[in-house]
Amino acid sequence: MLYLPQYYLFNRNKKYKTNTIMRKNALFLFVLFVGFTAFAQKTIPNLTLKNLQGKSVSLTELSKDKTLVFSFWATWCGPCVNELDAIAEQYEDLQDEKGFELIAVSVDDSRTKARVKPLVNGKDWDYQVLLDTNQEFKRKMNISTVPFVMIVKNGKIVYSHSGYTPGSEEELVEKFVEFKK
Amino acid sequence: MKFNQILPLLIVFISFSSIFAQDTGKVNVGFESNSQYYVDDAVTGDFTEEDNFRSNNYLKADYTINKFTFGLQAEGFAPQAILNYSPNLDKDVAVATYFANYKSKKIDATLGYFYEQFGSGLILRSWEDRQLGINNALRGAKISYYPTNKLKITALYGKHRVGFKVSEGEIFGFDTNYDASSENNTLQFGLSYVGRYHNTKDVYLADALTDKRFENLTNAFSGRINYAKNNIYANIEGIWKSKDAVVELGTVYSDKLFYGNALLLEMGYSKKGIGFTTTMRRIENMNFYSDRQTQGNTFNEQIVNFVPALTRQQDYSLANIYVYQAQPKLSFNPLVKAGEIGLQWDLYYKLKKGTKLGGKYGTKIALNFSNWYGLDSDYNRDFKRMHTKFFAFGERYFTDITLEVRKKLNKKNKMIFSYINSYYNKTYVEETHGIIKSNILAVEWSHKFENKKSLRAEAQHLWTKEDKKNWMAATTEFNFNSHISMFVGDMYNYGNDDTDKRSHYYNVGGSYAKNKTRIALSYGRQRGGLLCVGGVCRVVSPATGFSMSINTAF
Repeated sequence: MLYLPQYYLFNRNKKYKTNTIMRKNALFLFVLFVGFTAFAQKTIPNLTLKNLQGKSVSLTELSKDKTLVFSFWATWCGPCVNELDAIAEQYEDLQDEKGFELIAVSVDDSRTKARVKPLVNGKDWDYQVLLDTNQEFKRKMNISTVPFVMIVKNGKIVYSHSGYTPGSEEELVEKFVEFKK
Repeated sequence: MKFNQILPLLIVFISFSSIFAQDTGKVNVGFESNSQYYVDDAVTGDFTEEDNFRSNNYLKADYTINKFTFGLQAEGFAPQAILNYSPNLDKDVAVATYFANYKSKKIDATLGYFYEQFGSGLILRSWEDRQLGINNALRGAKISYYPTNKLKITALYGKHRVGFKVSEGEIFGFDTNYDASSENNTLQFGLSYVGRYHNTKDVYLADALTDKRFENLTNAFSGRINYAKNNIYANIEGIWKSKDAVVELGTVYSDKLFYGNALLLEMGYSKKGIGFTTTMRRIENMNFYSDRQTQGNTFNEQIVNFVPALTRQQDYSLANIYVYQAQPKLSFNPLVKAGEIGLQWDLYYKLKKGTKLGGKYGTKIALNFSNWYGLDSDYNRDFKRMHTKFFAFGERYFTDITLEVRKKLNKKNKMIFSYINSYYNKTYVEETHGIIKSNILAVEWSHKFENKKSLRAEAQHLWTKEDKKNWMAATTEFNFNSHISMFVGDMYNYGNDDTDKRSHYYNVGGSYAKNKTRIALSYGRQRGGLLCVGGVCRVVSPATGFSMSINTAF
């Protein structure tokens, strides 16, 4: 049952109002924020994730000297599955004709992780799948919602898009072709 | 100056000084803001609390230079956090987490706040989920060492984050993973230890008790094996937790001590076009919190381990009314519970192109079945004694069968049909009363127009003779292009016996997404109940109002 334990009664109503310290903090954060964004670079983090065969894959090595699409998805996310389904239908042609390659990064946690492999096979997807079980990759990329796609060229993120609407896979392919040049 | 003020300054100093260095490093910044403006409403009631406008804001920045990464997350809840978030999130703007990390081929070390998961998380998981208000990052130190590329050893110490403070309890963790895989099969072993030190003198005991018989330190051990070869795979994990006091409704019974344990088994077979998996789990007295007294708290604070409900996570709104939650706790009041036992099956199958049922494009079928029971036990409620049986099914808690069929009709049209049959034991799951048997049918249609425009429409119906009776719901979404989208939806409890409660829960809104930025606005009514993500739930109050959310990253 969900209830409010007594413990919380002690901490309730202790709301601190804005004071000078807060304002200072806010100013400090703002300066920090501006400072950071001034020289922000978009690169792929140096992380190692497991694939469906249990083998470790380094993101840096994977994206070295090529253009790739990373698609963040989860088995429970309807739009994500719709997007990957839509791309899967034409994936073979896209690979051959346009050199299109997609890495499907599953952010399923241990609740649904077991479902990733049968789903990928059951749907006959040909993507390389990586498992981001405790969402380290997702967190590093500051992604708050899935689906989220990004095009990575030589380790640099050149395009990203959040959300999926039917047909937006075509735009992704167009962008891919544009950046691959 | 306090420690937690020095570290951010240090980060700033290092980051700014590095501008003048040759390698300027890499920066990642993310910002998320979720706001609500609550209004009075005839159905959800007047908004009687302070501050109609509320906002949750998160700013996260990481800076990587060579082998070092420095990061911080500032959070602001101004003038207050959105309804149903923890009262501990009580600052207008403040640094919430920060860290410094060193990472080389052999070593990965973090000082400050960190996230971690051992095995499936049943023994330890710290993570963040802003929608659920969960952030149980540990503040302390963590070091991972890779002596060879087959072996990984991790040691950690920390205190769980609680709002802008940390828990009184302390966590010690040790984890080792060995990979004995060869070219054509996977074989991995893992061993973990988690210790929770929570001083008994900080505990408010049940009235009649003065004698503190339990240990400050609670120990948990786990072992696991993952195996895969060709098309099959099997994973097993077992956990044992040392004796700890029973906690009921926030009261600690220091003389009623019980062991905890869990067993998780996953097996599957899959090849092109078909996938099958089965998951079995038995959990007994596996509630594990940094501070004993916070056990079962609504805000999911101080959680040491992750015990998700192993059921299908539904995405239709009507299928999220009666949602199962895992039942790890042992208690005698208000109901006798010792844990949970059950299983889940999943089948994914693709009917081939060109066959009679597959049609031109092939048809995709997904079938899920899950069935969960309470652990059967012999007990004495007055004396708080319990003896559980290893393999015995008690009260039935939840059953769910979901069939989903996805069909592409032609280049422009796609359909999804879903049928869900469920049994929900509200008496045990929510500790209120009632058993709800329901059937849900949902149909979804999406259509692509010329010029990147598209339409998505769904219709749902829920049939039940119990609780609030029948519901129907519909949503239409129109996408002008891949950036701009509008939706309108409604859930209508037309079958409610009380005609005054035959309410509409409508929502209308739109969103704009470009690159890493997404802005969404909506207005509508929120049905009170459970909001669940990833098997963890948060209670939400019925409310009406405007919502705005902004996500962006640099």
